[in-house]
Amino acid sequence: MKNRFGLPNLGIGLGLRTVHYSHIVEQKPAVDWFEIISDNYLHTAGRPLDFLDLIAERYPIVMHGVSLSIGSTDPLDRDYLRELRALRDRVRAHWVSDHLCWTGVSSKNTHDLLPMPYTEEALAHVVARVRAVQDFLGAPLALENPSTYVEFAGDSMREWEFLGRLAEEADCALLLDVNNVYVSARNHGFDALRYLDALPFDRVVQMHVAGHTDHGTHIVDSHIGPVIDPVWKLLGNAHARAPGIPILLEWDAEIPSFEETHHEALRAREFIGATP
Amino acid sequence: MKREATADAIGTHERASATPVHTDHHAPSRHGVTPNWVPRELNLAAQQAWFEAIVTTPESEPAPADEAGLLRLVTPSKELTALERLDVYRRGYYARLVECLVDDYPVLQHALGEEAFEELSHAYIAEHPSKSPSLNYFGRHMADFCRTQPLPSPGFAADLAAIEWAIVLSIHAPTAPTLTSEELATVPGERWPSVCLKANPSLCILHQEYPANAYLQAFRNDADPSVPEAKRTSVAVYRTQMRVWRLELTPPMVTLFEALKSGATLAESLNRVAPELEGTPEAEAVQMVMHWFRTGVSSGLFSGLYFA
Repeated sequence: MKNRFGLPNLGIGLGLRTVHYSHIVEQKPAVDWFEIISDNYLHTAGRPLDFLDLIAERYPIVMHGVSLSIGSTDPLDRDYLRELRALRDRVRAHWVSDHLCWTGVSSKNTHDLLPMPYTEEALAHVVARVRAVQDFLGAPLALENPSTYVEFAGDSMREWEFLGRLAEEADCALLLDVNNVYVSARNHGFDALRYLDALPFDRVVQMHVAGHTDHGTHIVDSHIGPVIDPVWKLLGNAHARAPGIPILLEWDAEIPSFEETHHEALRAREFIGATP
Repeated sequence: MKREATADAIGTHERASATPVHTDHHAPSRHGVTPNWVPRELNLAAQQAWFEAIVTTPESEPAPADEAGLLRLVTPSKELTALERLDVYRRGYYARLVECLVDDYPVLQHALGEEAFEELSHAYIAEHPSKSPSLNYFGRHMADFCRTQPLPSPGFAADLAAIEWAIVLSIHAPTAPTLTSEELATVPGERWPSVCLKANPSLCILHQEYPANAYLQAFRNDADPSVPEAKRTSVAVYRTQMRVWRLELTPPMVTLFEALKSGATLAESLNRVAPELEGTPEAEAVQMVMHWFRTGVSSGLFSGLYFA
């Protein structure tokens, strides 16, 4: 399936992390593409951008943000959007993504991906803001399903319904994080496949996989360690619904060597094409 | 006069879409009372303000949520109460920002000890919450903050924090070319008095009450240094290409480099340093100044030259 936005299949990529900068610049490993955390390259004029420029010369780049705060009731931060757009143009990023969440109100930034209530009011609010961001960027925004640890009593729909309606009504793209689906399914007791069944896969332009931490009573989306097989299998299931969608591994804590991280990402090949 | 490289990983914290793993050593969080909203008041803005208040309230203080009232707003899971579910976010908020401060201030953390540093960080986060989409400058108040805190040696902690923050700033400062001796050699002899040097944009000259740079270097050398006695020192922190450097300076060097950094001509800069060389034979003084000048240039403190 080709996504409706015509965005390319970049293959299997890695989240770009500072501990790997030198290896990538010096060894020039064969990697399909890198995803950057956009916010790490804003408000800097120095070394992070120097490394990024070197890497962007050689590899396709996609931007993944954590501070857009698309669900916040604070006004959209136009300065942030301007910086985001400038960075996208600088590194020729194929697309820009962020999360279905909010990060703060009253000008504070908690730097956490806080959960949205799934209500009609919240949906209308986010749809309007996604449209405004897309107008500003002049390109589709991809929103990622978050991992969440609470559900609100006032919710009038489930997350998958909210996400599907948001994508249709705002005409935006989706970044499907299958680890987040797995985490939230465990935390809230829903069926991950039911979640996938409800998504408009023609709007999915990218998939994420990652490790997590199981506390027994709940799972935390820690991005630590290898991806467990049930998450790989969920990726296989999702990818079968949208073949040709690029896949990316996020590994953000206790990050191993570049080779080991890349080897883990390439495990996706074992699961792509698997049927439910 | 030692020029020391600083480990490359310093000050390059990641800001990822991950939630920190929470350890179980936390004391139980304190809770207050959930707002008793009537339906028309419970809009998205009110709900987010309330949620943020819970998340950002230190665990030692009561957050606006209690189990009974909370059930009207948040559902429990099979395994966790509604309050326990909220606490995942509450702990994550502090854990994430403490991680950021640890990344910026690893030597300060070593000097204070992990527990004291975490306590300091919690107080810092409460006093200076982030209002920026980026965490790159979140730790900028730490040196001043240390001076106000009941630490064993607040002055030393502040000086150490100041050096570590200068390292972070140097990483984010614009990258510039390094002035070379070949460029200097092109200056005609008669124009030397009017030559001005462009300072490396990352250059920061710190004046400290404690030898914090020596402590930092000992830590880098895998030693376990003790908190030093007070001793006035000056250190230049700057970056050339991908590498950060620290260069300890004597008082006349500080005068010379600060004059050049301010845009003074070489002649003016030498005049400023002259009083500090009183009593030194002229030929020796000239030799010393030329040595400092060459050291500053060869170390990468300057990125170019122009004429006044």
